Amino acid sequence: MPTAESEGRTTFTPEELLASGDYREPLIANGVRCHGGFDDEGRYRSPRTLHRSPAIRAWQSQLASEGGELLEIAPELMPPQYPNVEQAKLLLRNGVREPVVRALTIISIVEGFGAMIRDVRVPDLASLFVEPLEGTALAHLRRGLFEAHARDESGYRDEGGHKQMWEAARDAALENPKIPGDVLMRLMGRRGRGSRPEAAFPQIDPDLERMLGFMSNVLVVEVFAEGTFQWGIDVLSDPEVSAEPEVAGGMVRNIQSDEKPHVEYLRTALSEARARTIRTVDGREIAGREVVDGLLHRILKQMTRTRRSDQREDIREGLVQAMQVASNPKRLLEEFDALDSDWTPPGQTGFEPADAA
Amino acid sequence: MNLPTRIRRSLRVGWTAGVVWSLYKVPGYWRRLTRRPARTEAELSPTHERAARHILALALDLRGVMIKMCQAVATRSDMFPKEFIDRLKQCHDAVPPKSFEVVRGVVERELGKPLDAVFVEFEERPIASASLAQVHRARLQDGREVAVKVQYPDIEDIIRTDLANMRRVCRVYEYFDPQPIELLPLLTELTTHLSYELDFVREADCAERVRELFADDAHVKVPQMIREWSTRRLLVMELVGGMKITDKAALEKAGLDPADVLQDLMHVYVRMILAAGFFQADPHPGNLFVTPEGQVVVLDFGLSKELPEGFGLGLFELMFSLMTFNESAMLRAFDELGFRSKSGDNTTFLAIARRMIARSDTGAFEGEFTEDMTDELFEAIREDPVAEVPSDFVLVARVFSLLSGIAHTLGSRANVLQAMSGAPS
Repeated sequence: MPTAESEGRTTFTPEELLASGDYREPLIANGVRCHGGFDDEGRYRSPRTLHRSPAIRAWQSQLASEGGELLEIAPELMPPQYPNVEQAKLLLRNGVREPVVRALTIISIVEGFGAMIRDVRVPDLASLFVEPLEGTALAHLRRGLFEAHARDESGYRDEGGHKQMWEAARDAALENPKIPGDVLMRLMGRRGRGSRPEAAFPQIDPDLERMLGFMSNVLVVEVFAEGTFQWGIDVLSDPEVSAEPEVAGGMVRNIQSDEKPHVEYLRTALSEARARTIRTVDGREIAGREVVDGLLHRILKQMTRTRRSDQREDIREGLVQAMQVASNPKRLLEEFDALDSDWTPPGQTGFEPADAA
Repeated sequence: MNLPTRIRRSLRVGWTAGVVWSLYKVPGYWRRLTRRPARTEAELSPTHERAARHILALALDLRGVMIKMCQAVATRSDMFPKEFIDRLKQCHDAVPPKSFEVVRGVVERELGKPLDAVFVEFEERPIASASLAQVHRARLQDGREVAVKVQYPDIEDIIRTDLANMRRVCRVYEYFDPQPIELLPLLTELTTHLSYELDFVREADCAERVRELFADDAHVKVPQMIREWSTRRLLVMELVGGMKITDKAALEKAGLDPADVLQDLMHVYVRMILAAGFFQADPHPGNLFVTPEGQVVVLDFGLSKELPEGFGLGLFELMFSLMTFNESAMLRAFDELGFRSKSGDNTTFLAIARRMIARSDTGAFEGEFTEDMTDELFEAIREDPVAEVPSDFVLVARVFSLLSGIAHTLGSRANVLQAMSGAPS
């Protein structure tokens, strides 16, 4: 529903970036009023995109016109979902629902935590970048973009967001299943926490590094989430394992379409930072590209290697135990393992530091 | 405890109960006789204040269970007037220590052998003393430095007498004039908590459970219990040194950032309460230390609590929805946790949710769950006709209130949302 009025502009008020426009019918998920709604043709329209979508397109055009390039995270870096689609269906066909319920619940909570982006401290960017920021996504982070993102993820006031939409998809497909008691323990780190991450760029303002690091992390999560959406759609739309395939699959599709503006504004803002020069705390300068690429490289390396193996190990623990409800757990485990996806993380992240490339 | 002491304690409790009763009732009867309207809540404020002063004086005189009772009342801002809460909050349970001879007697009786047969050193002066026990520094034969928690010899007897007195008072109150505040359930809850605190075997079990929970977390330290020499009235544990968690200057001198320490502390509590459903429910500054390496040390598991299945997830949903301004999710969480309104509809909770969330309109919220918010929640609950507040919720709210107090002392703020996500600070 973007309006012609917002096309081409690069400056927006927070109210504009949070505006949704009218819907013919609201989205009700499992009895919960959610954000977004349906237009006259019955198509789902994402919330808060009336001006946000054209704004992002305008910022991207401006970046291109200034010679900046839009960063891309290679899809090959995305680790496959575990359990994968076939494995999840196998479990459900055999009455082993707990691992899938747990996975869907964790996805819903992680989506909700996306709201933390509204608490990210945004320093005075105009003083930290050498080049001007007028009319960029960077200039709008605190002026509507972070808040819109937060509201999309966890809902706001009387509307549910992605957290509640994932819960609704889970409950529709699996008929209000019992939630495993260990969900939060797995989320909050059964393995405990390591040491605090060291600053990668101590020469720049710490708030700026934290903000760029947080945005890079969320961007990688959002890009990788594409695999999660497809997994959710494939599993929950299958009438053999889902009680309400159309409702549940459709709900995940709605979330998938809501997430597109998140990926786009984050990669735009990070690309703008990458195309600029950052002032260091001692009055020198450093290329934004060096900082953004360094942060993305570190996050991608960690997410594709250690975090993936940790998560698999964690899930595996619960799986074997959950399979005991099946008639032949041993055989089921063998079948499950035979369906596993073979995946090796690519050697390069695409954001290697200049001296290592 | 001898008979005269028992009688004195009973009379002292009875006298205070009579004074408090007459403070409220005599003016009420007089107004009825003179056909004047009943006093408003604002007009009752000086009476609340005087009654609270009498009760505090009783607690400071008799100590023991009376102190615990006042501390319990001070946490129930959902039930008692503000004047009671503010006055009884001052009731600390630090008491003069018992003599070393008394301590030696308990230690030797519990060990079944002379003190020297187990400890090569035992400091006569305690490092801490409270209403139920005191703690001494000592060294075992194998050289390990330990803390020895010794229960007072007559404490169970005192508690039994005081609880019986209190129960009698509550029954008399309810017989003559059914109170809007139900005191007996509160007393029953206190009795349960005291029975936990008096059982050091249970305390050691709880400490080990929490120690196991954080076994792989480099930011947390729970002292090892030395079961070999521990009994129901004697608890021997690894001595862990450190700075008091509220000593900001010491933390900074050790090169630690108080904000990081606070965030770690918050992570410890959300992990215990929400994820494990089992927690040390007494995070006052005397029970929390920080090692020079920055580990948060958690002590005193006497008041540890197991939450019912699913309660942690319900609390998570309530806190999460509050911190993300989602009033409809907050309503569902209230229901899941067992909050019930007298009318049976959710109008009351919708009003509470909106009132809580409206706090966010004033500025950046940053995932903080403050003492003010807990107070405001309970004030809203007291004003509106909420028939049932789960007692586990009250205990958890008290924990967050205490943590907020620590944050306030450190001049910092913890991001509960971040702690719940498990993300490092």
